[in-house]
Amino acid sequence: MIRFLGSRLLRAAVTIVMVVTFAFVVLRLSGDPAQIIMGADAPPEAVEAFRAAWGLDQPVWIQYFHYFGAILQGDLGRSMRDGRDAIVLVAERIPATLALTLPALAIKVGLGIPAGITAALHRNSFIDRAVMMLAVAGFTVPSFVLGLLLVLVFAVQLGWLPSGGQDSWRHAILPIITLGIGGAAVLARFTRSAMLEVLGQPYIRTASAKGVPWRAVVWGHALPNAAIPTVTIVGFMVGSLIAGAVVVESVFSWPGVGRLLVVAVANRDLAVVQCVLLLVAMTMVTSNLIVDLLYGLLDPRLRNQPRRAAGMA
Amino acid sequence: MLTRRFLLASPTLLAAPALAQSDQRPVMTIAVQKIANTNTLETLREQSNVGSRTWNSYAETLIDQSWTGDLSLRPGLAESWRRIDDRTLELTLRQGVLFHDGRTMTAEDVAFTFSAERMGWNLTVEQARNLFGSVPGQTQGRTPPPEALAVARRTFPGLERIEIVDARTIRFHNRVPDVTLEGRISRNVAMVLSRDAFEKAGSWLDWARRPVGTGPFRVVEFRPDHSLVLDAFDDYWGGRPPVRRLRFLEVPEVSSRINALLSGEADFACDIPPDQIATVERSPRHHVVGGPIMNHRLTVFDKNHPHLRDARIRRAFTHSIDRDAIVQALWGNRAPVPKGLQFEFYGPMYQADWSAPRFDPAEARRLLREAGYRGEPIPYRLLNGYYTNQVPTAQILVEGWRAVGLNVVIEMRENFPQVLSREGQRGVRDWSGSASFNDPVSSIVAAHGPQGQQWQINEWRNEEFGRLSEALETGTDPAERRRTFRRMLEIAEREDPAYTVLHQSVNLTAKRRDLGWAPGQSFQMDFRSRNFAS
Repeated sequence: MIRFLGSRLLRAAVTIVMVVTFAFVVLRLSGDPAQIIMGADAPPEAVEAFRAAWGLDQPVWIQYFHYFGAILQGDLGRSMRDGRDAIVLVAERIPATLALTLPALAIKVGLGIPAGITAALHRNSFIDRAVMMLAVAGFTVPSFVLGLLLVLVFAVQLGWLPSGGQDSWRHAILPIITLGIGGAAVLARFTRSAMLEVLGQPYIRTASAKGVPWRAVVWGHALPNAAIPTVTIVGFMVGSLIAGAVVVESVFSWPGVGRLLVVAVANRDLAVVQCVLLLVAMTMVTSNLIVDLLYGLLDPRLRNQPRRAAGMA
Repeated sequence: MLTRRFLLASPTLLAAPALAQSDQRPVMTIAVQKIANTNTLETLREQSNVGSRTWNSYAETLIDQSWTGDLSLRPGLAESWRRIDDRTLELTLRQGVLFHDGRTMTAEDVAFTFSAERMGWNLTVEQARNLFGSVPGQTQGRTPPPEALAVARRTFPGLERIEIVDARTIRFHNRVPDVTLEGRISRNVAMVLSRDAFEKAGSWLDWARRPVGTGPFRVVEFRPDHSLVLDAFDDYWGGRPPVRRLRFLEVPEVSSRINALLSGEADFACDIPPDQIATVERSPRHHVVGGPIMNHRLTVFDKNHPHLRDARIRRAFTHSIDRDAIVQALWGNRAPVPKGLQFEFYGPMYQADWSAPRFDPAEARRLLREAGYRGEPIPYRLLNGYYTNQVPTAQILVEGWRAVGLNVVIEMRENFPQVLSREGQRGVRDWSGSASFNDPVSSIVAAHGPQGQQWQINEWRNEEFGRLSEALETGTDPAERRRTFRRMLEIAEREDPAYTVLHQSVNLTAKRRDLGWAPGQSFQMDFRSRNFAS
């Protein structure tokens, strides 16, 4: 178990280093932040002064090591646009984003998994077709289209809910539903597939043949075995809690991490973009680590076969 | 525990909500695309169209401009003004004007507004010359960022000093003659601010996000990239504002802004493209107001491009634009085609017999043949929708150019710095030109003269035009200034084109039909009682 955990932690650390490096390189390839923030009108000496102030006049590899060294000391840099610490700017926005993504996650799990199970248990029935039709519609409609549609119906036509902003809990309802529906649809599809695969296994037939009640077969044998792909997807969803609402936040004018990221990318505010990406990577990696541990709990065989588990992830 | 002191105070505590409830004035929400490009409210830094929308609600200038009326200059924080000579202007300050911090506006506050402390006159020219945009967080204490001086110099190039004659009277002394000084004083850069509040601010950024002015509303909360809340300032000298609270809410998507309006979340939705008018007006409770403003959409040229170096090719560009088709197809004829880069409110300076280059594809082909142009690609750096209808306009332009043989290649860019970047080859690009007061100095000189952006980024220069710019700025003889302006138009629009006008800009605002509010002929929004029908 320690070896299993150790290898996962090592892999997580490597992933974070790769994400940090990738973000650093791509941001520097995508345009000169000095020119973008100072403006093209700025005289060359002013641009050079800006570069010197922010260390952008150093060779890229030196910048990288300074950046990496600062991260290890907990310094994620300052916003070039705002002057404040990037982590402060991001931290200010996290509660707003979690106010959307956590309830949306609850909808995804609470709606998607039961719907997938129900569809699988009623394979080829009207219920199955209806659930799958809704699921396909749910994950094929882009979130900005769904968001606008919900606004048109519930805000403009019916006047039940606000169309955007962040003034009260009511303002969160439509964005949460927008985020939740798409994820629930994905989970329903995966859960159904996993359940169908498991329900076709010999041990399910054996259990039924032995006279085990169908409810017990489903709860005791089918669900635990079908849980692994579902847990994997849920893990990804947990990993995207921090920055998983970029589009929805824009549509609903919700001042979360997603809006901050859009503005920071447009302005090449390097420290802020890097800080968001680092937090996203850490959330995703942590989530995947927990998922790996859950594999072991769900299927004891995997504790000694980490490679197989990883392959499934 | 209940104490006697608490019980004695309780009538006051109970009365407070009652007083608040007695205020029946509405709260109004304005859905805007962007509140401020720089995330500050200090006009020395926020020199944008979007920033124009809010500043006059929290601050004012000595001389006001009637954007909702005849565009004339009118008394603002100065009750009156008179010319001492062509370099000196004397203003009589309005009495009893209060800042939002409760202090009375004094001549010292006016002097502070134009001082080195605020405008950064003591910064070196090397630090600040022609700098657009920098990092407020980099400034030390309350030192303004370098572009403050650049903006201040551009707005007041000849200002020498402010003289406090007495408590009610101040004089602007210019180094050189300037017949446009009154107009310059009406610009947002000259908004009068509280010296005391500035000195109490912890940093320049703190100040720039919560400036203390004399406007009808005071800044309560500014959340960058999200919202700006302004509360009515009931001691406003111009009368109690009719709105209790203004909320500017940043809603980047057009459809979301319209939805916010239609659902009742917002009372106004700004930056509405013409093709959305019908959508808004299907609702009986809403309509779209607005029209042409003192701003023209332009196509500008980089003279350094190997082919655009030849003026004949630039002239071919100007003759292959069907301006009427653009206006008809994209603006429903709401946007007039102007007579060059000028506005009728220039009065005697307006050249009524001037016109934009005529649409003449045959002439364009002739010019290209004469210049020996053989279809070499010319880049067109384009933003995706910074200006309303920007991309459809670009598509019409490119097709028109293609029809005469110009091979213009669109290159999409994310922001203006990328459009203006000296990396790679610049060719043509989009721009707009505003007139902030009633003289061509405010437009053609400000944008294309030696201190203007095109000149400073080395996109277009013309020595004669440079000399004429200075002559127009310092000239005092009306007839001579008129001739100078005429010659500048000839150079910049015909002989050696720096730009070509496309159409006058149109600013459309969707709003509740029952609000008797009038739009202005600029991006500014006026929420004073005088701008609401009773």
